Amino acid sequence: MTLDENHFKEKKHIALNVNGKKVQANVESRITLAEFLREELRLTGTKVGCNRAECGSCTVILDGQPVYSCSILAVEAAGTEILTIEGLEHNNELHPLQKAFIEHDALQCGYCTPGMLMALKALLDKNPRPQESDVIDAIDGNLCRCGSYPNIINATLDASKELLRGSRSNHGEK
Amino acid sequence: MEKSKLLVKGSAPPLLDRELTVVGKPLNRRDALEKVTGKAKYSGDIQMPEMLYGKILGCPYPRARIIKIDTTRAEALPGVAAVLTKENTKGWRTYWYKVPQIAFPECITYEGQEVAAVAAKDIPTAQKALDLIDVEYEILTPMLDKEETIKNPPWPLIADEEYPGSDVYDRKKYVIKRGDIDKGFAEADVIVEDTYTTQASCHGTIQTRACVASWDGRNLTVWDAIQGVWNTKETLAKSLGLDPDKVRVIVKYLGGGFGSKAWSQRITYYAAKLSMITGRPVRIERSRREEFVNHSRRWDCKMTLKMGAKKDGTLTAIYQTALVNIGAAANEENYYCVQIIWHTSNLHACPNVYLEQVGVYTNLQITGPTRSPLNKPAIFALESHMDKMAAALEMDPLAFRLKNYATHCSISAEFGAYPDAAVSDRDTKIPYSSKNLDECMKLATQTIGWENRSSKRSVGSGTKRRGIGMASYLVFQGVGLMPYAANADVDINHDGTIDLRVGVVDIGGGQQTIFSMIAAEELGVAADDVSVVFGDTEGTRYGPSCHASRATAELGPAVLQAAAEARQKLFEIAAPQFETDVRKLRSKNGTIYVASDPSKSMPFREVCNKIDPMNPIRGSGSRAPNPNAPMFSTFGAQAVELEVDIETGLIEILKITAAHDFGRAINPKLCISQIYGGIGFGIGFALSEESIYDPRSGKLLSTNLHQYKMPTSLDVPAIHAILTEDEDPYFAYSAKGAGENTNAPTPAAIRNAIYDAIGIWFNDLPITPDKIINAINAKKKKG
Repeated sequence: MTLDENHFKEKKHIALNVNGKKVQANVESRITLAEFLREELRLTGTKVGCNRAECGSCTVILDGQPVYSCSILAVEAAGTEILTIEGLEHNNELHPLQKAFIEHDALQCGYCTPGMLMALKALLDKNPRPQESDVIDAIDGNLCRCGSYPNIINATLDASKELLRGSRSNHGEK
Repeated sequence: MEKSKLLVKGSAPPLLDRELTVVGKPLNRRDALEKVTGKAKYSGDIQMPEMLYGKILGCPYPRARIIKIDTTRAEALPGVAAVLTKENTKGWRTYWYKVPQIAFPECITYEGQEVAAVAAKDIPTAQKALDLIDVEYEILTPMLDKEETIKNPPWPLIADEEYPGSDVYDRKKYVIKRGDIDKGFAEADVIVEDTYTTQASCHGTIQTRACVASWDGRNLTVWDAIQGVWNTKETLAKSLGLDPDKVRVIVKYLGGGFGSKAWSQRITYYAAKLSMITGRPVRIERSRREEFVNHSRRWDCKMTLKMGAKKDGTLTAIYQTALVNIGAAANEENYYCVQIIWHTSNLHACPNVYLEQVGVYTNLQITGPTRSPLNKPAIFALESHMDKMAAALEMDPLAFRLKNYATHCSISAEFGAYPDAAVSDRDTKIPYSSKNLDECMKLATQTIGWENRSSKRSVGSGTKRRGIGMASYLVFQGVGLMPYAANADVDINHDGTIDLRVGVVDIGGGQQTIFSMIAAEELGVAADDVSVVFGDTEGTRYGPSCHASRATAELGPAVLQAAAEARQKLFEIAAPQFETDVRKLRSKNGTIYVASDPSKSMPFREVCNKIDPMNPIRGSGSRAPNPNAPMFSTFGAQAVELEVDIETGLIEILKITAAHDFGRAINPKLCISQIYGGIGFGIGFALSEESIYDPRSGKLLSTNLHQYKMPTSLDVPAIHAILTEDEDPYFAYSAKGAGENTNAPTPAAIRNAIYDAIGIWFNDLPITPDKIINAINAKKKKG
């Protein structure tokens, strides 16, 4: 079966949750989730460095999983919950990962940073006590050409400790 | 009192005469918050009303002539606003660095060279329009290999300007000689000769090039992704026939540069032209493939070295020939005709040298600066050969280097500016403004455990073999290109706010942070009290492009001078309040006080309130050109511990120690980040990165990030970075550049460590697992 070009231009209705907000849109079936976030929702914090799942700068969290948003169609994301860099702050407070990135100088040009942060947020959600090797593995699909890896790793280990402290104090523990 | 040596025009400001309160602190970078929250708007994030999307049709062949081009079908496509080709842009020239190129040439000299440009309502329509442009090419046999090309006479040109700039450098020989090379080899007890090759490589910025150009009928505004706003403004104005005053270039965030964006980039000309024709803003963003094919690369080089030394390790002679593949277009500023031999000449002391460098134009991709442009290949060859020489002498590689420690520079850097083939045969013996390379070598090696080197070899288990290696470097510092201008201005306003104005881009090195710290120190306020106007040709004066590790070294003194002048003007307002002389006032931590009695003080802001609201204080600074002497350079050494798996050929780098002499760090946190980044770049160049071209068609094959292998988190080891801080009175707080120099010694240090592990010299980069396995098998066969 061959589909003509108009088939891909045909708009499909999708509803999804982005950064805690319900979003509905009519999108061309050919556009990627990254394009949808950037061009339709104007959430340009998500970067597209290669558009073929190689650099990781477009990483967002989809239903708890870090994914390359350049390699998922917007229509495939219908019904899911998406978290992008714009949703990482909570109650106008930076996430401990963001704070640690600033403190450890875990970024230079900053282009890979949103994708890095989302990949690492997904890691810490699943594994609150990561070892250094877990952090390295979590970002092995995210390229940083400025070479901030050592600072990114240390920032993440620090942030994980901060998060644990935070959750302990929330539960009234010492 | 000794005259200040600070490199500024006019009179140098008085020394601060107090302890430092801002400079030297590991402050966080100023733009980190925008970058971790996704709020930073890079050029490709900018969207404007009525904006069109541009696409460029590149020639798929490295050498061809356009016979016929027909745009009828593209122009008829709904949504297409403009189609440009050579037919409707006759006489229009764009630039590659300073090389003027016909915007749409008839004769194509490299793959991806511009054939047509389209603006349309969206990217798919623009892409579709490119597909509908019918071009008939005569495909010509390309010149690819530098050695093959230079063996044959230059090809007759088939059109004017076929190889822009080739009249300047093609096949021209540059020579550095001193002493008597024959005598040097006659005196030698040991002579070692070998050949080294380094590959074409790419910058791999994670942001692909993107720009938005907007013409409003009178003025052109460009949001760009480049390292220099001022040099881009100049070439854009020249290309488009505009008064430079009508062109504004803005770069607030840049997703990596590494030299690839040192001058205006190709897409900006086409976006600007399309905007001027359509009257609407135009955005052009490169795809990753286009980024690989259409932008510059590092030159591939072949270098032969022959060295002679006495039994005690004293170098008596160095002979070198270096051949560089320039690609299809180069002129001054994107080819460095003596950079390899300059570094070979100066890193180690040797009385007799003959060094020659020749560049040849081919149809491979255009070339340009790439983090330590030709010094990285030079240092790789030289520092590899030093280890081979040390082995032949049965000397420790560190001891061999210290034995031949160069106390002065043998040839000035100006030599490289000669337009025609040139020979330098003077030993100028210029002193360095400061040099701590010996300390760097000792620190890097001590920290890695150099003295236990031989015992470490047995540590590797099973198929793993462990080794330790080192390399040193120098990188010339301070550039000083024409038009020599590096200006800064500091405004102090009535409300106490301070604006630092610098026409420089923050490429991720933290330039705005560093300059705000220099200004804050001079003013006696906190760094956060200083707002920085940067990355914009409006509101700033000419500033250098941020490449060649030059921003701090070039603009630092200008910022210091501007801030000091503004401070002194404020002191003139303050002095009557204190009933004292201006010279007796100091400022620190937001307070102005009397030096002899600090209890007599006033808040900085309170004094500012006495500034005329309509007439803020302005202090101005300008960097003076580098003098002929002394010589400015940065130095360093790195040591590497690694394991080679003799079964798979895989290399695991366990640890790298890096000791660098950048003068003093304005912000040590940012300096250390540069070292981490440089080492990552160096590891890629040493082990995995290579632009691969089809040997017949000349087309680039490695056009994505799987084929072009840059280091990941798995490839970068523990790094121990050391700054050997020292005074250098020519620079602002002794701060020189930290950037590209950090990756210069890494490949040779890795290569030397591999030899230490398995006893095989690798001379051809990158040292990939297949090369290692083949070499191990060949060695086994030999027995």
